[in-house]
Amino acid sequence: MLSLVLTVIAALFFTGIVIRTKSLASGRKGPGIMQPIKDVIRLFKKGAVYSKTSSFVFQIAPTIYLASIVMAMLVVPFGQSKGLLSFSCDFIFFAYVLALGKFFSIISAMDTGSSFEGMGASREALYSMFAEPAFFILMGSFALLTGYTSFQEIFAALHIGSYISYALAVLATFVLIMVAMIENSRMPIDDPKTHLELTMVHEVMILDNSGFDLGLILTGGYLKFAIYGALIFNLFIGIIDYQYAIPLFFIVQFLMAVIVGLIESFMARFRMNHNAQFIVALTSVSLLIFFGALLMLGKFN
Amino acid sequence: MIHVILIVFIMTLFYLSIANRMLTYVKVLALQGVLLFFVAFMQLSEINTLNLVLILLETVVFKAIAVPVFLSYILKRNNITREAEPFLPNFVSLIITTAIVVATILLSNSIQDTHLDKMFFVVALSTLFTGLYFIASRRKIITHVMGYMVIENGVFVLSMAVGNEMPMMVNLGVMLDIFASVLILGIFLNKIGDVFKDVDVDQLTNLKDY
Repeated sequence: MLSLVLTVIAALFFTGIVIRTKSLASGRKGPGIMQPIKDVIRLFKKGAVYSKTSSFVFQIAPTIYLASIVMAMLVVPFGQSKGLLSFSCDFIFFAYVLALGKFFSIISAMDTGSSFEGMGASREALYSMFAEPAFFILMGSFALLTGYTSFQEIFAALHIGSYISYALAVLATFVLIMVAMIENSRMPIDDPKTHLELTMVHEVMILDNSGFDLGLILTGGYLKFAIYGALIFNLFIGIIDYQYAIPLFFIVQFLMAVIVGLIESFMARFRMNHNAQFIVALTSVSLLIFFGALLMLGKFN
Repeated sequence: MIHVILIVFIMTLFYLSIANRMLTYVKVLALQGVLLFFVAFMQLSEINTLNLVLILLETVVFKAIAVPVFLSYILKRNNITREAEPFLPNFVSLIITTAIVVATILLSNSIQDTHLDKMFFVVALSTLFTGLYFIASRRKIITHVMGYMVIENGVFVLSMAVGNEMPMMVNLGVMLDIFASVLILGIFLNKIGDVFKDVDVDQLTNLKDY
């Protein structure tokens, strides 16, 4: 329960901090921290316009997208307190419920019949497909290392002590941040600010969504970032008292927002045909984590 | 700590397989030299000080400074294009490199030998095969030299595993290897570069009778 409340609070500020970091880095003052939330509220007050060529799939897809993200948020734990749902192998549930939402956003993009949106959907599906093994090998090696299979137990049992576990934690943070960037379609993979449909990935999929539906999709995006921030927080915290854990949670989320903003300010987007190899490189890094976990268990050597 | 550095060393191999500029290759080679310096510093604790200083100097001066500077000098001097131009796409390179690493880990896991330090064995063997793969899959002679340097690094890692028992011989061999190869190939490249203005071995396939 606690993780749900904290993640929602973090999601309120996350995108605002990213945007503020980007504007400060480019020498502007930038909009207020709450501006993305105000945008969403404005969108929620509007109705939606549907094209005549689209079917009911296009109308229900944004709702399912947001619902899938909220479902995924339920299994994320907070330190020693469980998420609202916690069962064995819930990290598989987490990944695939997010994939369900992504599937619906893809078929709704196909449903509009626009050629641009089909292209964006194809790219999004490709990148998500490549990012999936990285996430599963990462979580699988943690499950192997600790002997548990649910998020809360894995993170509670994960001890950072020896040098090699520091290396594994750094690699895991890198993989998780990059998976978060891919899932959210942010900078090294996809530029959220691009104005050309040919170079868009995620933005082109939601070109036809308007008003209330667009608000749902944007809210989903904000929540996703905070969810991955919460996962990274859990990776490092383990079991400590609430009075330290709650401020640390917000510090980790803030730092992650600043890092995302800085990456977006100072890196150029990769060329489209370099994206796939970059994402597969994440899988290679996860494989190294897997063998590192085997090394720590003494199964190897 | 040594394990951490060796893991970073494997990651440099992944990076090398998706890098697409010549200068990135040179920088990664320099980074590998620095990493080998730290590995040597921590691993070779039982040999005498003078020998250790010699080995450390060799890693820093040759692997981390002299060879990269020399290679970038050749790149500039011979007007070699800045892209690496592999035969295969980088994506395939990455998958092959990953497959090599996984295969060596599986191989070493099946070897039952208590004298063998498996971590060094895995890193050395995968570096060797990756270097071979780079030589086979890249187009330019200068990239072949870089693949050769990667192989040398692999041999150095392997010799480090037994470095405490037989220090001098292995290191002198490695040092001589680096020195000779770069010197000879450097002079060779200089001449080639001056005469043909291009060192692309792919163009040799166009030679035929008319």
